[in-house]
Amino acid sequence: MKSRKRKLAVLKNGRGRLAASSAVFAVVGLGAAAAHAHGFVGDRFFPPTIATDDPFATDELLFPSVSYFKSADSPPIGTTDIGFEFDKEIFPKFALGISGDWLNLAQAGQPSASGWDDFSLSAKYQLWENVPHEAIFSVGAEWDIGGSGSKEVGADPTSTFTPTIYFGKGFGDLPNALEYARPFALTGTLGEDLPTSAEPNNLEWGLALEYSLPYLQSQVKDIGLPAPFKDMIPLVEFSFTSPENRDGGETTGTINPGVLYEGEYFQIGAEAIVPVNNASGHDVGAIVQLQIYIDDIWPKVFGYPILGK
Amino acid sequence: MKIILKIMKTNSIQRWSLICAVFLALQSTAWAHAFLDHAEPKVGSTVTNSPAEVKIWFTQELEPAFSSIEVQNAQGKEVDKKDVHVDAKDKSLLEVSLPQLPAGTYTVAWHVVSVDTHRTQGHFEFTVK
Repeated sequence: MKSRKRKLAVLKNGRGRLAASSAVFAVVGLGAAAAHAHGFVGDRFFPPTIATDDPFATDELLFPSVSYFKSADSPPIGTTDIGFEFDKEIFPKFALGISGDWLNLAQAGQPSASGWDDFSLSAKYQLWENVPHEAIFSVGAEWDIGGSGSKEVGADPTSTFTPTIYFGKGFGDLPNALEYARPFALTGTLGEDLPTSAEPNNLEWGLALEYSLPYLQSQVKDIGLPAPFKDMIPLVEFSFTSPENRDGGETTGTINPGVLYEGEYFQIGAEAIVPVNNASGHDVGAIVQLQIYIDDIWPKVFGYPILGK
Repeated sequence: MKIILKIMKTNSIQRWSLICAVFLALQSTAWAHAFLDHAEPKVGSTVTNSPAEVKIWFTQELEPAFSSIEVQNAQGKEVDKKDVHVDAKDKSLLEVSLPQLPAGTYTVAWHVVSVDTHRTQGHFEFTVK
């Protein structure tokens, strides 16, 4: 998300081919910047979320992620983002990842532009877990590799580093009087953009509130939900960017209501992308993601760290 | 949405779709994590008579040596007969026998390993009236 904002800013200021606003990036970056494979803390399975990153450092393959969203510009820029992400656990609880997004930008009266956005490398370490309380805390960083994408879509020629903290909390430890609240879980991220050029520092923050129907059925009360509903996790995500200096403008972001479907070897997720203010976007967008559980498809290859056990 | 439709017509997307189809087709040769599908007594249920056993059906076949069920009473004492086993005909069914249980709420805690060595765990309660 953070990188996309800068990249489109370059497109706007440097080339002027398409007038882009920072709000575009706050949303378009939804593509491949999030999501992970099987993440467990005790009884709790935290699904890979779409708009915000989850706290797990696991093997994962997100492919493809397709989103469409219109910027706040007039006339708006319609951005289609097709992305991927691959992560590999290197040693226990530590994973490295790479992600990329192919973009198509279209604006009325202008020729469309297509190409790869800058690629990103990431590292994450699961620092702390509390099994009885279904809690996890992780630290990590992302490197948006400046100049690795296409100038056609305004890929940023300079790099940005974003150290980030991640957390997750399931509510399975609530008392029986609140048993129907036990399927709730919350994950979140807080990151600080550190650009290598004179661009604004941004606070990147997000939350995902989910209600796991599989958890309800298997841990709390079997209410007889039929397929496919018993395998669904409704959720709402909040993804925001708050500029801190250098005339970065106001906070932008989106609220994304949606649902995840858990298959045995994959997860399919879909969300609406609702801009929170006029600076964040134009109209409601949408995103669809396929998460492939490579640790289940190839259990002898994935699901284990390369070094150590 | 016209943009998406246009992109979907490109050879690039067709290739991506083919790759996805291959991934999904591989499901028939793979296993997955074992999640609780359903149980008897039902998760969170209240029963009028003491059940003779706890049965849990999982979404995958299990490794018997690494799969267990423990039934505890409200004081945390194990009350099952410690004869947990995977059903001989249905490798996804794990069961343990119970003695006659007095009225009360019981916790079923399970830990299983699916045949592809993935571990999962969970617990639920049922009540005997």
